[in-house]
Amino acid sequence: MSAPQYSCLVVEDSPMMRQLLVLALSRVKNLRVTEADDGVDGLRKLAGGKFDIIITDINMPIMDGLKLVKRVRSDPAHKGVPIVIITTEGSGEDRKRALELGANAYITKPIQAPQVIAKVKELLKIAP
Amino acid sequence: MEKKGRGSRKSDRPAAAVAAELKEKRDAFLQSFFKRGAELSDELMQENRRLRDQLGALEAENAELKTQLASDRAIRDLLKKIDQLERDKSRLLSTVHEQEEMTGQISHRVTQVENDLESFANLYVASFQLHLSLRLRTVIRHIKELLQQLIGARAMAIYLADEGGQRLVPVASDGIELASVAGVTLHDGAVSDPVAAVVERTFLTGVAHIAEGAVTSEPAACIPLHVEDRPIGAIVVYGLFAQKAAFVTLDRELFKLLGAHAGATLLAAYMYTAGDGRLPEPEALRSLLE
Repeated sequence: MSAPQYSCLVVEDSPMMRQLLVLALSRVKNLRVTEADDGVDGLRKLAGGKFDIIITDINMPIMDGLKLVKRVRSDPAHKGVPIVIITTEGSGEDRKRALELGANAYITKPIQAPQVIAKVKELLKIAP
Repeated sequence: MEKKGRGSRKSDRPAAAVAAELKEKRDAFLQSFFKRGAELSDELMQENRRLRDQLGALEAENAELKTQLASDRAIRDLLKKIDQLERDKSRLLSTVHEQEEMTGQISHRVTQVENDLESFANLYVASFQLHLSLRLRTVIRHIKELLQQLIGARAMAIYLADEGGQRLVPVASDGIELASVAGVTLHDGAVSDPVAAVVERTFLTGVAHIAEGAVTSEPAACIPLHVEDRPIGAIVVYGLFAQKAAFVTLDRELFKLLGAHAGATLLAAYMYTAGDGRLPEPEALRSLLE
């Protein structure tokens, strides 16, 4: 029996952080990563495919991460997809707001790859 | 006179009576004989029974002794076995300790490799993005992103030295208004502002200032920018995000990368942008190589 395949959508406007996330996530077996550079691009990619997890920044042009979370949670096709917020916003208020909107996890930058990998595996229920 | 005696009595009694008496005596004798025989038989039987019982008891005792002997042997065997098992146990414990030590070493090595991997990934991405573009705005954005996203800088500024090398002029900032970032006059000998003093010292000595431990005062870091060995400016990190208390080893590596590469990248980007993205004529390039 072949291992299940997972797909992850990374929504991040910083090419540097996107590249770093893609590099980190490449260490998770059977995980395919799709990149989007803002919230709207993220929604477009979501409409065109099926994703098992979404990782998004908060501060992005055009549509920020919190709006994206709200849109995803109100979309019947994706409302159950786990969402991880990765942001420079470290205040408790931001974290609270993101979790209230329906995010499943909140990680602050600068990131540590093992932390991101562990969270993704946890949400996808992949053995560590 | 009548003689009194046996002969006379015998003679006096009739033969039948004598015979009867004799028979009676014989019967009594026989009875007594048989009775005695029976008693002897009983005694013999009893003795036999007693001996049998004794034999049984002895046999049981013998069996018990045999069992005890076997048990003693078994105990000796068991003791030997226990001794062997103790030796095996201590050997296994020693192996387990060795394995635990090895596991600890492997685990430590895995952590080291993880950290190295993390460092390489960050350095690769930083270097890749830093050299990805020659457009000045993009290069500046990449430097800011590197400082913000990878290091956790809350506020930063980039200074470049003026032509005469008399002054460091802020050319870009993030997290702080550029207009509020003061220039730093070099060699004036009396810099009162502590941030300016650090920036001046860093530029003049070429030695980076990176706060040790928790960052409590500004600037958190100041990195000299060089083109080859020539100082051309400095990057100042005023503070870090609330979630980042102190610099880590990886940050120092990223600062080293910035110090060595950002100056040349900025200069190249400036020339490329000023030249409107024009590429050099091959002939002109070749003549410079001659």
